[in-house]
Amino acid sequence: MPVTGIDDRIVRTDAAAKARGEAKYACDLSFPDMLYAYMVRSSIPRGTIDSVKVPTLPDGYYFISAEDIPPEGKNELWMIQKDWRCFAEGDVRYVGETIGLLVGPDRNMLKYLLDHLEIKYTEGVPAVTIDDAIACKGGPIVGEDNIHCQLYVEKGKPMSEVFAEADSIFEETIETGFQEHVHLETNAAIVTEEDGHYVFYVSAQCPFYVRKSVAGLLGLNPEDIIVRQTTTGGAFGGKEHFPDVLCGPLLVAEHRIHKPIKLIFDREEDMLYSVKRHPSKVTYKTALDKDGNILGIEGLVYYNCGAYLSSSYVVLQRGVFHANGVYDFPNTYVKGIGVATNTFPSDAFRGFGAPQTLFAIETHLDHIARKFGFDPAEYKSRYFIKQGGETITNGHIVERVMLPEMMKQVVDASDYFRKAKEYGTGSGKGIGISFYNHGGAFTGNGEQAIIKAHARLVKTGGRVRIEVGSTEMGQGFQTALRKIAAATLGISIDQIDYDNPDTSKVCDSGPTAASRSTMIVGRLVQRCGEEMKERWDEGDFSVEKEYEHPEGHPWDQSTFRGDAYLGYGWGCAVVEVEADRLTNEIKVTGIWSSHDIGHAIDELIVHGQINGGIAQSIGYAAMEKMENRNGHFRQSSMSDYVIPTSMEFPEQKWFLVENPYQWGPFGAKGMGELVFNGADAAYIDAVERALGITVRRIPMPPEDIEEALADAQ
Amino acid sequence: MGMTYIPSALSEALQLRAGTGARPLAGGTDMMVQAKRGIGLAPEFPYPVMIISGLDELKGIKAREDGTVEIGALSTPAEIAASPLVPWHVRMAAAGMGAVALRNSATIGGNIGNASPKGDLPQPLILLEAEVILVSMHGEKKMLLDDFILGSKKTALRDDELIKSILIPPHSFTYSYYRKIGMRRANAISKLSLSAAAVVKDGEIVDFRAASGAAGPKVIRSHEAEAMIKGHRTEEIPDILDGFLAAWDGAISPHAMPVYRRNTTKRMLSFFLESIFNGSEPGIIGGEV
Repeated sequence: MPVTGIDDRIVRTDAAAKARGEAKYACDLSFPDMLYAYMVRSSIPRGTIDSVKVPTLPDGYYFISAEDIPPEGKNELWMIQKDWRCFAEGDVRYVGETIGLLVGPDRNMLKYLLDHLEIKYTEGVPAVTIDDAIACKGGPIVGEDNIHCQLYVEKGKPMSEVFAEADSIFEETIETGFQEHVHLETNAAIVTEEDGHYVFYVSAQCPFYVRKSVAGLLGLNPEDIIVRQTTTGGAFGGKEHFPDVLCGPLLVAEHRIHKPIKLIFDREEDMLYSVKRHPSKVTYKTALDKDGNILGIEGLVYYNCGAYLSSSYVVLQRGVFHANGVYDFPNTYVKGIGVATNTFPSDAFRGFGAPQTLFAIETHLDHIARKFGFDPAEYKSRYFIKQGGETITNGHIVERVMLPEMMKQVVDASDYFRKAKEYGTGSGKGIGISFYNHGGAFTGNGEQAIIKAHARLVKTGGRVRIEVGSTEMGQGFQTALRKIAAATLGISIDQIDYDNPDTSKVCDSGPTAASRSTMIVGRLVQRCGEEMKERWDEGDFSVEKEYEHPEGHPWDQSTFRGDAYLGYGWGCAVVEVEADRLTNEIKVTGIWSSHDIGHAIDELIVHGQINGGIAQSIGYAAMEKMENRNGHFRQSSMSDYVIPTSMEFPEQKWFLVENPYQWGPFGAKGMGELVFNGADAAYIDAVERALGITVRRIPMPPEDIEEALADAQ
Repeated sequence: MGMTYIPSALSEALQLRAGTGARPLAGGTDMMVQAKRGIGLAPEFPYPVMIISGLDELKGIKAREDGTVEIGALSTPAEIAASPLVPWHVRMAAAGMGAVALRNSATIGGNIGNASPKGDLPQPLILLEAEVILVSMHGEKKMLLDDFILGSKKTALRDDELIKSILIPPHSFTYSYYRKIGMRRANAISKLSLSAAAVVKDGEIVDFRAASGAAGPKVIRSHEAEAMIKGHRTEEIPDILDGFLAAWDGAISPHAMPVYRRNTTKRMLSFFLESIFNGSEPGIIGGEV
């Protein structure tokens, strides 16, 4: 078999089985005597539960609730904190909160029981928006001030001094909305018992998260529970912590019933009753001199976290740490506040808090540039951070920053400067540009302090098996990691096995999140491979390695000072649009991007990620509207919550720059989230120029553009 | 839960319809969605249903000698979009419905019978003053589509009737306009739509009509507003435009996004009329960017 080179263009190892329909998803799995479960959920955003009247249950049917948690267990899911209850008890805090599970053999009967189960509430006044939360509408949901979490970072002089020296101050507030993941496969999990262990089959990004989160419900240790990832049809962060919300109640049910139980969300449930991207409200107050030079920026970042914390504090940290964009401003102060509302808890979503503040800072800088008569690209490029430059957290950029080269690539290819001049403001045609980055892997020293990832390679004859907890969810990781192993060992990718992980068999390589898999787990597998290659002739053996933190990245998690990330991916996007003056429909006529991802492990996969990430980002800005009225999401199907189809955008032109990352496998850095982080701002910049409007919130479908046009007049 | 029947001939279907009131289901692209109950559960209808997709009597697109086009109720949007017999406005609407799979299974009878204000086909059909042929055991009757659709999800279909076909009378427009605004460029439900047409002879506008979709409980035509244009000369358009636009605006009643729907409708209508005033080449006006 031919040796696989790291730069070989190869067919994804999961492609054929998925294309042929042979891959088995959780929904396809069945076990003898399997029962089905339906979630009983809160229908109100806030209130107390007065009574739950369950219809008379036929033999073999069960209603499972908090009362079924044994005395040694606690009614909590352990994500980062333990505040999210497995079952609502006494009160409910959001529409869709789990109150119980109906379990039984026949889904028709279960549906009947669900339709006839009566819950009586005393309704409270819900807080839904960030403004509601700040005003403590209906009384605080958490603490005394509705604040789930907060932090601040500062760099340079105190902002009071900076503002005193300023010739002018430019202040504006920029808002972003909810976003739904719309992974093609809805959430799904099955619980069963095998050889005295509880076993989950679950569509999930992080099998080890699931066992940690649910074990406490029965007073067990995580190791007592086995989690097997099933082939996962998309996730985007929507299956990072959320599978816990399915698996927790299932575990309690299994403890009582002892039969396989399957819980599958249909699309409507998955839209209405699942986590979303955090809505945000970011206020920038920027001190400027008379020529429009930036003296300093003060930012106030609000994220709507929903009723429970889940991963919001980390999301907020990432939002704050990206609030400066790719720039080196002399003085900054950014405060982040995560507020509690009676909406479904917001959680991980590709970009993990960075897209909101990156959109805000890019749009804010566009507005300042325009006010002073500068081209946004030229204006922003003055502030590009450089190698050694001080970050917002008083750390330093360790790597070479290639933004000027990347900008040149996309500016030349798109003919940006000519078009920017020729298309007048309000001409109906516009071209926009944005710059962005994404800190790779866990924040600060989290890879060392929190995760301590392990990876293992097992050699049997001429075959090598990868044993890690990292998951394929459509992003191509099973191909990329096999490729890293094969290229390191100098063997063919066909000699490498890498199955969906089973927590009882593989190492905990940490969550498949934070754009860390290629960068961190890939490097671990490479290190295992290097040793295995040297000892290749020793017969059958295995090599296991633990994560080693690179030197020279100081970080203090208590003060948020130091190198917030081990390295960054960088991006630049240009989007060109044409507006229909009759209908305000926006047609995207060109997309150009350049990314620095270190070194691409597989250009075909990277191409797919770029195409998809950019389309998802423009969709976020243009059309993906998820409204919440009085605590209820209004969009419940793929026809009223629309995501872009392949008909929406033209073929994208894309570039990569080669900038090998010292601590990544073959020079690779993370890239899955980076490619989502900036095209939204380029799109809105283009729309603003085409129509002569100022946009301070996304999404901006045609009806919202109508309002902005009215405001502009 | 109602019974499901599968008649094999129209006569059998009409007997069933009269005897049980079973509702016709053809492509199922609306009804199956409305009756869905979740994964692993068959859709359930609270009334009897008959699957009529096998009835050949309701199929086919034909032109009559007088130029009238008859479209069988079971014709799919894909067939309609591809038929050279079908007038341009209707073909445009059919071609823009949903995605390929939907266009191959939905039917014109279903799109009319569902009577959604956002339905794509009724809008151009009402512009063209199409009629529906309704059939029962007692025979056939004709009715203007505009009269057949009573409001959102309401039609004049009696419990013993089926939609047999749609008749589109012949016409010859000097100018035509069609526009659907969806939530995205493909596979989208209509957010707003408009058809317009005019016949101009020797500088006189002898016929003018428009139809607004998704701008009220049903497709809106305003004969009163149209009459404000008809009979005028094209050079008079600037003088009568504002009055006409105000009258049209008074006729539509969009519930959600009212400002957008009203303003966009006005802009599209004035664009169409101004194009005529400016002496555009006869034919299709405008088109998407």
